[in-house]
Amino acid sequence: MSITLEQVTKRYQGQPVVNDVSLEVAEGEFFVLLGPSGSGKSTLLRAIAGLVDIQHGGIALHGSDVTHVGVRERGVGFVFQNYALFRHLSIADNIEFALRVRRMKSADRRARRKELLKLVALEGMDDRLPSQLSGGQQQRVAVARALAHKPQVLLLDEPFGALDAKIREELRRTIRVVQRELGITTVLVTHDQEEAFALADRIGVMNLGRLLEVGEPHTLYARPATRFVATFLGAANLLLALQGPDGIRVGSTPVDATGRQAGPAAREHEVVAVLRPEEVELAADRDQLATRYVGRATVEEVQFTGALERLRLRLLDNLAAIQHGADPAEARIEATRTQPEQRALPLRPGDTVVLGARRLHVLPTPLSSFVVHADDDDTARALHADPVLATLAARMKTRVATRAGGDETAPQSAAPGVAVLATGADAPARVGQLLRAGANEVLLLTGRAELPRQLCIYWMDNAARGATLAVAASLLRHLPAEAICVSAAPAARRDARRAAALRALLDARSEARAAHALETRTELLAGEMPQALTDYLASLDTPLLVLGASNAAQATEMLEGILRKLPDVPVLLVYRETP
Amino acid sequence: MISLRRERSVIPGFGITLGFTTFFLCAIVLLPLTALVMKGASMDFARFIQVITAPRALASYRLTFGASLTAATINIVFGFIVAWVLVRYRFPGRRFVDAIIDMPFALPTAVSGLALTAVFAGNGWIGQYLEPLGIKVAYTPIGITLALTLIGMPFVVRTVQPALQELPKDVEEAAATLGARPVYIFFRVILPAVLPAVLTGFTLAFARAVGEYGSVTFIAGNIPLHTEITPLLIIIRLEEYDYAAAAALGCVMLAVSFLMLLTINLLQHWGRRRLTGGARA
Repeated sequence: MSITLEQVTKRYQGQPVVNDVSLEVAEGEFFVLLGPSGSGKSTLLRAIAGLVDIQHGGIALHGSDVTHVGVRERGVGFVFQNYALFRHLSIADNIEFALRVRRMKSADRRARRKELLKLVALEGMDDRLPSQLSGGQQQRVAVARALAHKPQVLLLDEPFGALDAKIREELRRTIRVVQRELGITTVLVTHDQEEAFALADRIGVMNLGRLLEVGEPHTLYARPATRFVATFLGAANLLLALQGPDGIRVGSTPVDATGRQAGPAAREHEVVAVLRPEEVELAADRDQLATRYVGRATVEEVQFTGALERLRLRLLDNLAAIQHGADPAEARIEATRTQPEQRALPLRPGDTVVLGARRLHVLPTPLSSFVVHADDDDTARALHADPVLATLAARMKTRVATRAGGDETAPQSAAPGVAVLATGADAPARVGQLLRAGANEVLLLTGRAELPRQLCIYWMDNAARGATLAVAASLLRHLPAEAICVSAAPAARRDARRAAALRALLDARSEARAAHALETRTELLAGEMPQALTDYLASLDTPLLVLGASNAAQATEMLEGILRKLPDVPVLLVYRETP
Repeated sequence: MISLRRERSVIPGFGITLGFTTFFLCAIVLLPLTALVMKGASMDFARFIQVITAPRALASYRLTFGASLTAATINIVFGFIVAWVLVRYRFPGRRFVDAIIDMPFALPTAVSGLALTAVFAGNGWIGQYLEPLGIKVAYTPIGITLALTLIGMPFVVRTVQPALQELPKDVEEAAATLGARPVYIFFRVILPAVLPAVLTGFTLAFARAVGEYGSVTFIAGNIPLHTEITPLLIIIRLEEYDYAAAAALGCVMLAVSFLMLLTINLLQHWGRRRLTGGARA
């Protein structure tokens, strides 16, 4: 492996900007780190170069550990967004800088410089000053300069950010050609998905300091695992679907879909399905649809963009779309059509059409939508405004519905989504009712103003482990917190239970890494549950407890034990009934 | 359609502004200087030469320009350090230090001269400890240099500071990724980039030092041939009602200052295009 990152963590003032990132980049690979601004991608790149220190984890280049090696000795090639050329030096001197530092002979330097200038197609520019060159040319010089000392790794930090579209494309091609020609391992940071698709062998998508998914461009686009990647890589409509033993359905119609959520599906539960705009089929009526019917919609907006026509539609009778936030009445679907499709069925705003899905992809990750359970309007409003729920809903772009009090006593079919309750003395009892009524996840909120900084993950028995880790992983994609798996065993070192607990933690950790690309820390607590867990939670700064259970009675008992001592810790209960 | 309207400028009228500039230049610079040269030329040439080459005058030139050059040189080193600290570090009281830098601008120079004398005189706070070591500061050229350094410092800090601020951090990082050591980065990347500003600061500090009178007279002791600066000599001639001799000395100062400033300016101009363009030394 050319670059190996092992649980790299970087914090600024206690807030993680790069959170437990592990990654391997192969020899000669072109790897693109993609993410919105503030996702930590640039910091990660700078950490690889040695320009920033990391607090935790390790970095290896070509098998040798460089975690504590200075930037000078790492000898990587680095290209900055704003070129960072030495403005007082000529192009020749800029390119020869690294060679001069290494005391290379003048003739050799000259030969290498000519070679590099040819590589970036800037022959004859030797004696110019950077200010006499255009932005694109300056960035080419920066690339040549970074390659002068034959680094084994080339790192580029948004190298096209300061350039206009046409030059950008040209330079993109140059960099791809240079990279192929030299076969140099390259990591490029960008926020532009088009750029990532055009350049990458593999893409890693980052958000909130975490590396969410890594994969080849077309795989990530066609089969994303997370909501964030689905919406960040190209446009996506997110639909709420139900996954049961017999398959997937949207509303009342069964649909074909790729992917499904893991785990036993004894109960029908809500999942998120991705519908790309180009996979939406529009027809005048249901009989003309070539694909599965999803719903009826009115055309709200038609936009001509050249090759494609872009439409915004509002679903009429099926409120499954969750792309546009909390209000279900506002659910919009985006669609694109080619010229022939456009000619076959011309549409104007106000027209009513039926909508089919050519290809639907179910996200394998849990947490679909939220349902607030409250006895009165004030409590409901307070819960809606709770920072944890508000942040999650906004970042997941999901729906938060409200259910009036008393309903949960009535027997129900599977309640879709995560049930949200205000914590309190009666919370355990109400959780019990909800679980019996078919809820899979229950979130108990405290109204605490800060977002949790640590996610404490504990599962009461191994049957619930997989689901608990999956839910925690989903949560961590939207909250910048540290993940800590805990288990408890008596303090005595020789106790057999201690070894078993330790083994369970290690298993969980490798499962989290393999199945959810989630890096976790582990903590073996001394003592008995729930006392040990309560003590540990009390020692944390602002924790959130993710509690996994497969027995409703045990779960409520455990909750009672914890909430009695720590009423201000929010809890997400993950319940998976064992069949 | 071709627009015939000229571009609007914030300050109206090129004619008026240029006119004012010319008037200002004449009234403040050219006229008095012409008068000075005329006055100097009112005596015959032999007497002129005799006045400006008198041993006392020669000693005063050496002292004035020597001490000014030394002070300006010291200033570019320490002024650079102060500017560096103010730009690159965040520490409690930074704003306070930043404000205090300008004190010599606001303080009447006589006051700083008095203060320095009080501190460095043989019985002063610091002087009493230096005296036994054989170091005399007050009433010696060292004291004069010290006073000139003090009043020149803000010029260097204030010219170098913005240049350092504008220097992008990623340029240094780039040099580091290319394998350069900190010392190499300083001399080959940072210094060349701010050299024009440093030279400007040097010029300003030097010009200020040559013309300085108030602070020096207190700490100099004004011993003829030893600690007597040219401006003081001019005052002495004026007090003797020997206006022509004072003007003659003034002419010399004028000529030398002009030559030195011109040289530095040319150097700077050349440096912008050439010298700074060569880590190829």
